[in-house]
Amino acid sequence: MAQIEVRDLQITYDTPKTGERFTAVEGVTLSVEAGEFVTIVGASGCGKSTLLLAVAGLVPVSGGTIAIDGRTVTAPGPDRAVVFQEASLLPWRSVLGNVKFGLEMQRWTRDDRTERAMRFIRMVGLANFADYHPHQLSGGMRQRVNIARALAVDPKVLLMDEPFGALDAQTREVMGDELLTIWEREKKTALFVTHDIDEAIFLADRVVVMGRNPGHIKEIMRVDIPRPRHEDVLDSDLFNGYRKRLRAHLAEDMASMHLVEGAQA
Amino acid sequence: MIAALAKRQALILGTLSMVGILGLWQAVVDLGFIDPFFVSRPSAVWNEFLAQWRRGNILIHVSETLRSFALALGLATTVGIGLGLLAGWFRDVESALDPFVWFKYSAPTIAFYPLFIAWLGYGTPTIVAIAFLFALTPIYANTLSGIKNVDRDLVRAARSFGARPYDIFFMVALPGSVPIIVAGLRLGVGRALTGVVVAELFGANAGLGYSIGYFAQLLQTTRMMVYIVIVIILGVILTQLLSFIEARTDAWRVSAAK
Repeated sequence: MAQIEVRDLQITYDTPKTGERFTAVEGVTLSVEAGEFVTIVGASGCGKSTLLLAVAGLVPVSGGTIAIDGRTVTAPGPDRAVVFQEASLLPWRSVLGNVKFGLEMQRWTRDDRTERAMRFIRMVGLANFADYHPHQLSGGMRQRVNIARALAVDPKVLLMDEPFGALDAQTREVMGDELLTIWEREKKTALFVTHDIDEAIFLADRVVVMGRNPGHIKEIMRVDIPRPRHEDVLDSDLFNGYRKRLRAHLAEDMASMHLVEGAQA
Repeated sequence: MIAALAKRQALILGTLSMVGILGLWQAVVDLGFIDPFFVSRPSAVWNEFLAQWRRGNILIHVSETLRSFALALGLATTVGIGLGLLAGWFRDVESALDPFVWFKYSAPTIAFYPLFIAWLGYGTPTIVAIAFLFALTPIYANTLSGIKNVDRDLVRAARSFGARPYDIFFMVALPGSVPIIVAGLRLGVGRALTGVVVAELFGANAGLGYSIGYFAQLLQTTRMMVYIVIVIILGVILTQLLSFIEARTDAWRVSAAK
């Protein structure tokens, strides 16, 4: 049995203004094996973040099921941790305080918290910044804190919602590289949402391509690039092939979006 | 660097205009344009201040006013923050309290004065009650909005780590609201002082407001001016004190916004 089992998932919202029911995700079925790195890519509005947040237990499921190790997900749990975009750090807490936050919530003993938090702060290379506050850090450093905070609670599954979305291209590449190094050492199952095609391929064992109206899975693409990977694979023919395939999917989505907008106008 | 210069320039200009007004005040009276009966003059106010100080009157009245002020502010802080936290967290409490907030905003608080006289009699209890009502609104309103407008991203992040509502209140909503609550306290300080002085004008046996009213009735403008100036200085000191605390608690927010 796979570690993450999503079966025929449906997620609907009530739009607050019009009161209409909006379907964000429909008919999504996905299995992720323990230790696997799966990325989800798609145009904005394809429900990729919604799917991730539902696995996190932060968005209620309207139909179908999500299970982690056979247990149905109804709420957040210590088996999962989420890395959000950078704005999710507590601005009044130091780096150490932020990394300790998850440990406090999950009732780790006081001594363990500091020791463990420092271990993961060192792992992401911020040992000299433990007393700094988020506003004193760069975007890349803030995301390292976010990753350390998630890893510190020792989850089985690491869920990442466009964690590098707000970073510049160069920082983003460095962070991707470091994330892979950490992941290879920590052996966590990873689900990673992005809208960046290169990032999606570079990180993944498998790339899930999602489409819109309503959000659904268009294709699941296996990436057969041996690990450990380095940036030079970005120029290989193999990588280019994957890149073309994903671009074609997204271009299709863009075209259909323009058609719909044209019809409305 | 430029910011520091600009700040210094503002300070210099502010000081100059203050000195200028004092000089003008002294000059128009000395030159006979305005009868000192109406406005006294800075030199006379200063001499009278020293005389009152030597007699110990100033200490008596300042401490009387500060006592009422401290009682009123303490009560307003306790009740305002307490109710604000409840109303910010529980929607029903906010709805239940809403009409009273609107009354407070729309009606002049001093209109309740005769009622308080009837209930509490002349003197400190009525003065404290009026000043309490003056100070309550901004403290309550700021606490409410701080808790209510807690950052949704932070709440979501906290929930992802298994935070319960109790944790979210104490670990996210409350610390995130400290700067805006302190800003409410700063407003409350100014209003509590206003409340004390106004209530003392109407009926008291001591205090700064009492002294202002007392010397006004005796047509002793210089003595009245002494106590007006003391009220102003006291207000500036108290408000600056709170601004200082505000800047310290606000450090993470101000810098984050840059």
